[in-house]
Amino acid sequence: MSPASIRLILWVLVTAFMLAVPWLVPALLNAFWVSVIAEILIWSLFAASVNLLYGYTGLLSFGQALYFGFGMYGVAIGIQDLHLSFWPALSLGIVAAMAMALVTGVFAVRLTWHYFAIITVVFSLIFYFLALSNKWLTGGDDGINFSLPPTFRIGGFTRSLTDATFQYEFILATVALCFWLMHRLIESPLGKALVAIRDNDVRASLIGLNVYLLRLIAFVLAGFLAGVSGALFAFFGRYASASYMFYHVSGEAVVWTIVGGAGTLLGPVVGTTLFIIVREVVSTHWEHHSLIVGAVAILVVIFAPKGVVGLWNDWMARLSERGSTPASAAELRVGP
Amino acid sequence: MNQPTSEPILRTEGLTKRFGGLTAVDDLSFSVTGSRLHAIIGPNGAGKTTFFNLISGLLQPTDGRVFFLGEDITGAKPHQISRLGIKRTLQIKSVFPKLTVAENLWITKRAGHGFLDPFRPARADRETTSAVERTLEQVGLSALADRQAGTLSYGDVALLEIGMAAIAQPRLLLLDEPTCGMSPAETARAVDKILELARSIDIIIIEHDMDVVFEIADDITVMAQGAILAQGSPAQIAADERVREAYLGREEDEDYVEEAAHA
Repeated sequence: MSPASIRLILWVLVTAFMLAVPWLVPALLNAFWVSVIAEILIWSLFAASVNLLYGYTGLLSFGQALYFGFGMYGVAIGIQDLHLSFWPALSLGIVAAMAMALVTGVFAVRLTWHYFAIITVVFSLIFYFLALSNKWLTGGDDGINFSLPPTFRIGGFTRSLTDATFQYEFILATVALCFWLMHRLIESPLGKALVAIRDNDVRASLIGLNVYLLRLIAFVLAGFLAGVSGALFAFFGRYASASYMFYHVSGEAVVWTIVGGAGTLLGPVVGTTLFIIVREVVSTHWEHHSLIVGAVAILVVIFAPKGVVGLWNDWMARLSERGSTPASAAELRVGP
Repeated sequence: MNQPTSEPILRTEGLTKRFGGLTAVDDLSFSVTGSRLHAIIGPNGAGKTTFFNLISGLLQPTDGRVFFLGEDITGAKPHQISRLGIKRTLQIKSVFPKLTVAENLWITKRAGHGFLDPFRPARADRETTSAVERTLEQVGLSALADRQAGTLSYGDVALLEIGMAAIAQPRLLLLDEPTCGMSPAETARAVDKILELARSIDIIIIEHDMDVVFEIADDITVMAQGAILAQGSPAQIAADERVREAYLGREEDEDYVEEAAHA
């Protein structure tokens, strides 16, 4: 089988499975796993924000939880304190995350590598402690609980995330839309410019790319992805909490991205899926499940530095080479 | 061919760069008129690459000014200078290793102008794509178009760099030791491409290979210790006593220089 047809079959199977989850999974396992899969989708999107920066722009951020937290709090404060309805609250979360990314990015993207990693951690720590101490606004560690406004209300017809099937569909559709947008971005002139900067920033500036501005744009777009995932997670859990702004959350997304395959569109999805399933399966039997996370991360970094998806792509490339070798050998024999 | 203009294409006034106690470029006043292939030679540490870094904005001068077509570009950022039409290569071969050969050319062409549209696929830009195909043919890399640049041989990377310089259609091209580390065959190929480029682009080249310099240069500037030691045609430089003493002055090189000058 050729790599193209393997990819097509996988694509069809995964899409069919994802669409069938609300009916298939309760029948095969139980309803709990539907929300695990919804959670995987949300965290995959969060990991995608790390991937856009690290995998495609060459900036390793350890502070993406800050923008996730702003997405969460935008929704929670919007609903609880400002009495916004669903869509304005969602928008507030996304805009808050992007605005925060813009403000911090102006300083952060002046730096690269470990300096950049450190400044992103520092920003997220500052706002983590601010959120903890300003209990009147954020609820601190306890967070803010809110009740869900309906998503759609057209005449007598209402749809709300309290319907588990609709909630899953809404999360799937939003995450899929964001990944499609990211795919478009990567294939666009802007995406090519970001990859060029990742590869060689000095050369990029010499061919006329404004490296600072492009890094800032990538940082704000990553803030968008983190903000959407944070907003979704707030709707999903019906609450927001400062604990999700801790750098531990940022670090997990970095591990998921690297294990799954940084610089590949679906690497973060694969990494996130792997680790959340391990967590859900193992944590009920064994409290030290993070040991497995650490061990897998170390093994992948050593033996598959391009991540699981990178390894897969290499296999596929080898498969298509093997397919073409006999043909070229035959051509050689045709010669004089 | 470029029309010769009264305004020098590049001019520096008292250009100086100090690194702590070391003066790498010392009060350099330099001017290049169009339609010439200009070579800069000089021993290691003469300040040649620092001079290029000051022109292209990678370094800011301690003192002095740089003018490009009469416009003061001192203190401008590398991408701004690049967009004005000064492109350069780096001494150590420098491309985008994870991008394919075609993508390297594509982004180089596209980087210099216009809006980087995030909403349209890159391949939809037919104008850039066809420019890439033409350049691939020009430099002879069509067969390697889809190879990752990081997997190319040394000579092919050099051809790609020349392609990247060409596709950007600069007004002025700064080449920093383009044949460094090349085999004689690769050097010959690169020299051909450079001469081809020089027909439409003004070029300043830093080069250590004296065969190459005396073969291609219209004018030569000799630098030593951050300053200009001599300037002139290849024949004048070869005959210059100070140059012989300071730079080429070793006994065994003399015949060679005269030979090259008369070649």
